[in-house]
Amino acid sequence: MSSDNITVHHGEQINNSTGISNKKLLMWAFLGSDVMFFGTFIGTFMAYRNKSLNGPYPSDTLDIPITTVSTFVLLMSSLGIVLALHYLKQSKMGLAKFWLFAVIVMGLIFMGFQVYEFTHFAHIGMTPQVNLFGSTFFTLTSLHGAHVSLGILWLIFLLYNEFNGNLTSDNAFDLEIAGLYWHFVDIVWIVIFALLYLITAGDGVPEGGIPWDLPH
Amino acid sequence: MSLLKDLFHHNGNGWWKIPKTSETDSNPKNEHPFGDFIQRGKNFLIWITSGKGHAGPVYYWSIAFILGAITLVEVWWFGVEELRYILVPSMLLFSIIKFALVVAFFMHLRFEHKLYSYIFIVCMVIGVFIFSLFLLLSAFHGLGTS
Repeated sequence: MSSDNITVHHGEQINNSTGISNKKLLMWAFLGSDVMFFGTFIGTFMAYRNKSLNGPYPSDTLDIPITTVSTFVLLMSSLGIVLALHYLKQSKMGLAKFWLFAVIVMGLIFMGFQVYEFTHFAHIGMTPQVNLFGSTFFTLTSLHGAHVSLGILWLIFLLYNEFNGNLTSDNAFDLEIAGLYWHFVDIVWIVIFALLYLITAGDGVPEGGIPWDLPH
Repeated sequence: MSLLKDLFHHNGNGWWKIPKTSETDSNPKNEHPFGDFIQRGKNFLIWITSGKGHAGPVYYWSIAFILGAITLVEVWWFGVEELRYILVPSMLLFSIIKFALVVAFFMHLRFEHKLYSYIFIVCMVIGVFIFSLFLLLSAFHGLGTS
């Protein structure tokens, strides 16, 4: 379907003179701004790394095996959403619904891991106000969690529309835009997992710091 | 036994043939210990990076497999005490590779209009600049302790 200036493909309106979709351009601009947003928080975390004078420290708290599982789940949810989009464009609605549902479930599992982690941290005395590690860690991971939660709500809305017949091959572009957002949430976690978890997990008591005993 | 015989058939040219190639060709192409595995690997890389396999389930599963494998290597690397001294650069490298794979292939940026790439890359450069600035400030002036 096309007019003089606009070509429509799977709901994506592409301007013929520029070859650009305004909606997609807006989403990429938003994602670009979010890169800067997370860049500042990750930078702050790294700048304050090993500066907490009292515990708990990363070596007392971070659980790499559990976070590896949640990271893997989020990575696979990225696969799920591209498959959902692929099948939606091909009008294979059953498979499209299945993968979109799977992505929502994987997003919820990831959030479940985060809730478990936060609860466990609070139990051993690590809260946002206890030290610099706690402040920067909770700020960054909960902001990411807020992004994931928003993404889950967005995908639930799209799945609802898919079941109602309002999301079809003709407007698959709506899912593509949501997919871009979801992938972005995934790549932010890729960086967080490497920097916040794998690099800092071995950090213990810094010079001048006080050793931390886990509560019994 | 038949399968083993097929896999390790030797034609007298000094190379094991996997898979078995034409008996009539005395020096068949890609005949070496791994058969045409290397050639297939090259073709697969070309297929992925050229976008010829773009938008197919096998293509997406392949990318996901690579991402999962890199994550496992990251965790293994983290557990090896001897590799700790290069932990930071190696983790940065792994996350850059994973980041690039998702952005280029799952987010299709490699196959999209270049303007999208320019916008995203400019913002990333600014983000990394801010990130580096914090680290420099921290290293030279210190940002306090708590």
